[in-house]
Amino acid sequence: MTDKSMKFVPGQPDMWAFVLFETLVFTSYFAVYLIFRTASPQLYLQSQAHLSLRIGIFNTIVLLASSWAVARCVQASRDGRFASASTNAYLATALGFVFLGSKIFEWAKVIRSGFGFSTNEFFMHYYFLTAIHCLHVLIGFVALGVIIYQLRSPARRSQELVETGATYWHTVDFLWVLIFAMLYVVR
Amino acid sequence: MNGRRELWFAWWTTVVFYQLFGVVFFVLTRTQPPPDPGWDASRVAQWFHDHHFGLLVGFGIMFLITGMTAPQNALIAYSMRRMSVSRAFGYSYLVLYSLSAIPGMLLMCIVLTVGAMRPDRDPELTSWLYDFAFLSFVGTMGVFLIGSLVWMLAILIDKNGVFPKWFGYLNLCNALTEVVVSPAWIFKHGVLAWNGLIAWWIDMVVFGIYTGVFLMQLRKMIQREDFGDGPLPDSAPDQESVPSTMASSAS
Repeated sequence: MTDKSMKFVPGQPDMWAFVLFETLVFTSYFAVYLIFRTASPQLYLQSQAHLSLRIGIFNTIVLLASSWAVARCVQASRDGRFASASTNAYLATALGFVFLGSKIFEWAKVIRSGFGFSTNEFFMHYYFLTAIHCLHVLIGFVALGVIIYQLRSPARRSQELVETGATYWHTVDFLWVLIFAMLYVVR
Repeated sequence: MNGRRELWFAWWTTVVFYQLFGVVFFVLTRTQPPPDPGWDASRVAQWFHDHHFGLLVGFGIMFLITGMTAPQNALIAYSMRRMSVSRAFGYSYLVLYSLSAIPGMLLMCIVLTVGAMRPDRDPELTSWLYDFAFLSFVGTMGVFLIGSLVWMLAILIDKNGVFPKWFGYLNLCNALTEVVVSPAWIFKHGVLAWNGLIAWWIDMVVFGIYTGVFLMQLRKMIQREDFGDGPLPDSAPDQESVPSTMASSAS
C-alpha cells in the first residue's frame, strides 16, 4: 500500500500467506495419505482401480481451463478491457460449476458401485480429500463473485482485488492437480 | 478513565484462561489429546477409574473459570466494533461464542464429571457418558465455524485497518478445520476419528497457531488503539497512558 513498486506478487500479499498456509495444511493431509498408503499398498491399489481415470482427467481439464479463463480475465483487466475480463470471469465460474457437477456425478457413481465413505481407508481418504477440495471450490465461487462485482462498475475495478480472487482460484486448481495425481494416477 | 487498561485486563484474562484451559485439559483431566473412541465399555470404565481425581479436580476448576471467556469474547467483539463494519458483526460473534461454550466445552465437563463421580456405575452407562462427552466436545464445531467466518468477513471488509487482511484469511483456515473434524461423527478408528491424525492432531496444530496469532493481533490492536472511530494508527499513540514526564525521561 505504501509503495506499489515494492510489490512482487500479484494481488494482496495477504492472500499469498493464505495460499502458503493452506498448501501446508493440504501437504499434511497428503503426507498422512501417503504414509497410510505405504502401510497397505495392495488395498490402495485395488480400491484405486474402481475410480474412473477418465472422469479424473475430465475434472482436471475443466479446472485447468477455468484457471486459464481467470488468467485471461486478469490480463484483460490489466489492459483495461473490462468487458472481456467479465466474460472470462463468467466462463471460469461456469467451468467451476461443470467441475462441481462432474464431481457429484462421480461420487454418485462410486457410491452406486458400493464404495462409501467408510468402506475402507482408501475411500475414506478419497471422499475426504475430494470433499474438502470441493469446499474450497465453493469458497472459490465467492472469490470469482468478488472479481465479477469489481469488474461490473467503473467506480470499483480494483485490480488488486481481481488478482487476489484469481490467486485463490489458481490455488484451488493447483490443489486439485495434486489430489488428482495422488488419488487417480500414482500406482 | 483509562480505556486501554480495561482492554489489557480483557487481554490478560484471555491469556490466563488459555493457560489454565491447557493445564486442565492436557494435564489434569488428560482429555486432550482425546482417548480412543473405539474402546469397549470395560476399557472406558478403566479410563474413568485411572483419571478419577484428575477429572473431578480439573473440571471443578474449569467450572470456576469458565466466566473468563466473557472478557475474551467481549474483546473480540470490541475489535469488530472498532472496525468500519456494521455492529451486527460484533453482536453475531458475541451471541455465537456465548452459546458455543455449552456444546463446545461445558457439556463435556459436566458429563465426564458425572462419569467420574460414581466409579462403581455400570460400565455400559459409563461408556454412554464417554461417547456423549467427547462427541459433544469434538462434533459441535459449527458455532465456532460461523464465529470464525463472522470475524473473517469483518476483517476483510473493514476499512479502519484494525487487523491485517492475512489474519482475516487465517480465520478461514481455522474455520475449515472445524469442517475437517466433522467426520468424527462417523469414524471410530483411523485418521478422521475424534483422536485421529487429521481430525485431532493436524487440526490442533492449526488451532494452536490461530490462537497464538489472534492473541498477538489483539495485543497489537490494544497498543494501536486511539479510541477514535476512524482508521487505527499504525503505531501506538502512547501519550495518553504514559505520563509526559515518564515519556520524556524514557526518550
